[in-house]
Amino acid sequence: MDTRMLWIQLVAVMVKEVRQTVRDKRVMFLLLVMPLVQLIVFSYAVNFEVDDVPTVVVDRDDSAASRRYVAGLLADGTLTEVARAGDEGEAERMVEADVAKAAIIIPRGLSRDLARGRPAQLQVVMDGTDPTRAGVAAGAVSRYFGEVALDLALERLRIRDAALGTTTRVPGVRMEPRIAYNPRLITAVYMVPGIAAMLVLMITTIVTAMGLAREREMGTLEQVLVTPIRPAVLMVGKLAPYVVVGLLDVALAVTVGAWVFEMPIRGDLTFLFGATALYLMSTLGIGLFISTASTSQQQAFMGGFLFILPAVLLSGNMTPIHSMPDWLQPVTWLNPLRWYIEIVRGNLLRGAGAADLWPQLVILAVMGMGILVVASMRFRKRVV
Amino acid sequence: MEPALQARELVRSFGAVQALRGLSFAVHPGELFGLVGPDAAGKTTAIRTLAGLLLPGSGQARVLGRDPVREGAAVRESLGLMPQQYSLYGDLSIEENLRFFGRLFCLPRAVFRERSERLLHITRLSPFTKRRADALSGGMYKKLALACALLHQPRVLILDEPTNGVDPVSRRELWALLYEFVGDGMAVLVSTPYMDEAERCHRVGLIHGGRLIAEGVPGDLVRSFDHEVYRVEGGDRSACDAALAALPEVVAASPAGARLRVVVRPGAGGRVADAMAAAGASLHPADADFEDLFLARMAEEAVA
Repeated sequence: MDTRMLWIQLVAVMVKEVRQTVRDKRVMFLLLVMPLVQLIVFSYAVNFEVDDVPTVVVDRDDSAASRRYVAGLLADGTLTEVARAGDEGEAERMVEADVAKAAIIIPRGLSRDLARGRPAQLQVVMDGTDPTRAGVAAGAVSRYFGEVALDLALERLRIRDAALGTTTRVPGVRMEPRIAYNPRLITAVYMVPGIAAMLVLMITTIVTAMGLAREREMGTLEQVLVTPIRPAVLMVGKLAPYVVVGLLDVALAVTVGAWVFEMPIRGDLTFLFGATALYLMSTLGIGLFISTASTSQQQAFMGGFLFILPAVLLSGNMTPIHSMPDWLQPVTWLNPLRWYIEIVRGNLLRGAGAADLWPQLVILAVMGMGILVVASMRFRKRVV
Repeated sequence: MEPALQARELVRSFGAVQALRGLSFAVHPGELFGLVGPDAAGKTTAIRTLAGLLLPGSGQARVLGRDPVREGAAVRESLGLMPQQYSLYGDLSIEENLRFFGRLFCLPRAVFRERSERLLHITRLSPFTKRRADALSGGMYKKLALACALLHQPRVLILDEPTNGVDPVSRRELWALLYEFVGDGMAVLVSTPYMDEAERCHRVGLIHGGRLIAEGVPGDLVRSFDHEVYRVEGGDRSACDAALAALPEVVAASPAGARLRVVVRPGAGGRVADAMAAAGASLHPADADFEDLFLARMAEEAVA
């Protein structure tokens, strides 16, 4: 059979595939609405920034100094005062009743102790259900009172110097953080590349797995297989439209990320789409593989999720890979999602290109080839 | 003349189920061969094996002398298959289905147009070309499937239960179409569970338990059937059943409406009539038909 005939068959399969996809309302919903919804929901909902922690304040000292401290502590917005309580017990009950997530208790005599140069104590009660929030809130409190303590010490020193006529030099270390790439530490900017990768995985893997399973379930595969078409042509024709879908999803995610979440686009987009094509070899290959192992669309759908859930969890998008247990970390090496997220993040946020990201590119290419080859061998075997 | 389709001692199992146990038959060009048998007799397995969709466990399948799996590409150029289950794209229209399969067979545009028009005309589907395949009636759907299987003008056509779920008028139409093709020299293999359709074939093979239990020209088979066939009238039904079951001469007894129909060994009619008289019933001779033949052969097969 000459090449022209292979092309005719290939185009016929692609046209048929697109036609069926466009006519299937469920699949169209999956392809168009799901990406947008996920992009928006994930970007807004997954927020690692901690602020506005509802706080109950107990000021038993009730002095000018204590009022100043409370106002100063609340000033940066990490903690927000939601109630006042008369004593410690009441404050704790409010934390238990979920009125507040934190309580600041300033004991009677704080300003007096400070004025006399004695160490003073204050108490912070935290709801530890959300460890991140509790940690950040506790950190904000201790940082603030650390500064207060330092100021008090310096003040004292100055008074002493003035009285004795001396000058004491105080050594100090000041940190001035400069945060590169995402200076305002917006979670969405970090999340959008990961979400784009997740979207491509979910859509292309599930839709390809289901598309082939449907042909088998509906019996149409049998009618196609008694025509002279080669299984390889059938396979490529069925996968090709989803390469386009995958690229469109990435374009959509980048656009929404840039417009809605002010995500920077520092890298070369041609490079990004090239890398996406490599990534698609893996996601489509896995979809194909799942379809060869399933006899119905339902099985294919379940199989798709069985793969996607661990792939997302082990991608480093939700949980940093270095905080996973040692034995689990090597498993993420087998996860195409992980490498692709690194590429997208590096490319969009840092402007990195092939010179920087070639290891990830090579891994994706090798992985994609391997998966596609194994899946197509299985596909051909299932066919006869 | 070399047969267009040939099954030689085909054996195939699915797990513990033996679907084919040494099935052999041949279909010649210009012949309409019927593979007749009940559900689960092995008809579909035989057809899938001949079409190259299944590998036989042992034995050989040949299409125009070629192996349908190893020489698949060449075989598919000259083979048309109409599977039993729905196998066209329900969400594509008649026209789109035809065009898709036309492209898979790489038909040039002009050839495709001419053939699809002719096929739509003879199947009388021309007015419905825009209709989706899943919106077609059973008969129309089968005719479309037939048209798709005929686009490339195959020399061999295999149809798996084409008349299943089709109304009597469409059924007659389908058979008329098949005669037309066979008249042009095509070899046609049709499977059917309906005994009354056996008479429409040039030759039939009765399939049961994965092998043929009788083969030949339908008229000849019935004529040469030497058993006696009777209707049992009157008497108590359960008493008759019990009496018949006790007689070794009775090869098959089946309900025909409210009455019983029995097939008995040659020359044993008298004895059976006596037994029936004792149960208060009488025997009336009837003409043997295909179903009697099939039931008798099946019963004998079970004894053997």
